[in-house]
Amino acid sequence: MTTATMPQEITPVARDLGFAGIIRSEWIKLRSVRSTWWSLAILLALTVGLGAQVSSSLSFQGVAGVPTQDAVQDLAVYAVMVSTDFGALIVGVLGVIVIAGEYGTGMIRSTLTAVPMRVPVLFAKALVLAAAIFVVSAVAFAVTVPISVGLLAGNGVAVRLDDPQYWLALLGGTGYLVLVGLIAFSIGAVLRNTAGGIAVALALLLAAPVALGLVLGLTPSTWLETVSTLLPSLAGTVLYSYPTTQSWVNLSTVTADDGWLTEPWQGALVLIVWVVVLFTAAAVLLRRRDA
Amino acid sequence: MIQARSLTKRYGAKTAVDGVDFTVRPGVVTGFLGPNGAGKSTTMRMIMNLDRPSGGSVTVNGKPYAQHRAPVRQVGALLDAKAVHPGRTARNHLLAIAATHRIPPSRVDEVIELTGLESVARTRVGGFSLGMSQRLGLAVALLGDPATLILDEPVNGLDPDGVVWVRLLARQLAAEGRTVFLSSHLMSEMAQTADHVLILGRGRIVADAPMSEIVAGAGSASVQVRTPHIARLVPLLEADGATVSGAEPDLVSVTGLAAPRIAEIAAGAGVVVHELTPVTRSLEEAYMALTRDDVEYRAERIAVEANR
Repeated sequence: MTTATMPQEITPVARDLGFAGIIRSEWIKLRSVRSTWWSLAILLALTVGLGAQVSSSLSFQGVAGVPTQDAVQDLAVYAVMVSTDFGALIVGVLGVIVIAGEYGTGMIRSTLTAVPMRVPVLFAKALVLAAAIFVVSAVAFAVTVPISVGLLAGNGVAVRLDDPQYWLALLGGTGYLVLVGLIAFSIGAVLRNTAGGIAVALALLLAAPVALGLVLGLTPSTWLETVSTLLPSLAGTVLYSYPTTQSWVNLSTVTADDGWLTEPWQGALVLIVWVVVLFTAAAVLLRRRDA
Repeated sequence: MIQARSLTKRYGAKTAVDGVDFTVRPGVVTGFLGPNGAGKSTTMRMIMNLDRPSGGSVTVNGKPYAQHRAPVRQVGALLDAKAVHPGRTARNHLLAIAATHRIPPSRVDEVIELTGLESVARTRVGGFSLGMSQRLGLAVALLGDPATLILDEPVNGLDPDGVVWVRLLARQLAAEGRTVFLSSHLMSEMAQTADHVLILGRGRIVADAPMSEIVAGAGSASVQVRTPHIARLVPLLEADGATVSGAEPDLVSVTGLAAPRIAEIAAGAGVVVHELTPVTRSLEEAYMALTRDDVEYRAERIAVEANR
């Protein structure tokens, strides 16, 4: 910092603030901190590793009954996506960190100084996060599929890859991870605190279904059952389930459509409602609160 | 040009900024002074749309900051040098902010060079000293080549070289016709940098005037007179309207008369004068006098503790 002179600018160096620029800015931010790469690497490794491990040990040997192709496909989907619950925890943590980390470090004040309209920042951040989760989880599943199919074939399970439902279920898993990331992101934006955000996100994704399941086991109640079906994790299992009447887990029993949430699109809809409600709350609070 | 109209900020029952009106003009450096807790930072945060005013309004170049099409071209601000993600490198931090306004990477490298950050541009900000963080904050503020600069304690933590650089930069930017609004607790530094002074005390404007007026207005300038004939000279000076206070047996402080007039009176009476020194008031004295009643957090406790 010597006694340098300011360069004399003739054309303005800064152009108008635009959404494309804000997206680019958020992408630079996402890729320039290590926590992003750590979480995405863990997501990738966990999906491929667990998928391969489970695929190598799954077969219909010793199971009573004859599996239909549906049951085979159901098992194949399970084998690839066995890690999705863990994956949801990882993208949940990432989603919270991406926004709450800005509050924790004070970065948010630099961000909102550059984009004083504020709300476009939230949209751009969510978009970049969703894209990153989508790409990494899609790649993770794409890598896992050939490994899983090969290992399953070795166990006498012949998976048909020309089955669109198989791929739709995997796409559902990818969509579930993206939507969970956005739910956690919105929670982080509302709470503005990394530790609190992660605690609430994990409580919603992990603890709530377990707790509700315990309560329901003791005192059955249709009202609580409805609530538990609408939790993100349960809506997620509907979203990425393979449509079959014969589950690979027990070939002799026919799976009953007992819940009122059965179609994958319904699961997706429930998750989207979660995202929209929480994201709207985050946007309204961002506009109102002091940064 | 920054214009505040009845600008107010309340936090619960506490009023941090209490209906202030002021205009910060382009072409001059305006210093923003006030005791801790007077509301300076809150005022600056409201200008930048980081805090919502509880009442009133503030505009920059005619519009609220958030309504400008290219905000960073209008205002460059350094409010908090630590408002940075510690895991990101300095250059990536600048690139991310530059991207919002499609500022080219070449400009990023330009401000890195300008602020002397070349050697640490690719290191993570977490390990930066306060001085380094300040330089990065200044680099961010200059990124958009803004028409207005708002700097909160910009020399805090800087080395002497950096302090001089900030002073010259502020003066040059003002000379180019830009608006420069900066706060500091270093009175001697402010006295050399600012042309105009805005003093805030307990959320209200205490003074808003050119530096020369502030310094002059703190109390009339005095003249130190040293003479072995105090007893003969003092009545003559008092007869001419001066106020005299003695400090030492042969030294008095005279207010109300200029040095040449004192010399004339002494010469007329045949009094030998050994020393005749006009004493100008410093900005620090002026500031202390103006904010005496507005200091929020007094240091009186320290005296009590020390006497034990």
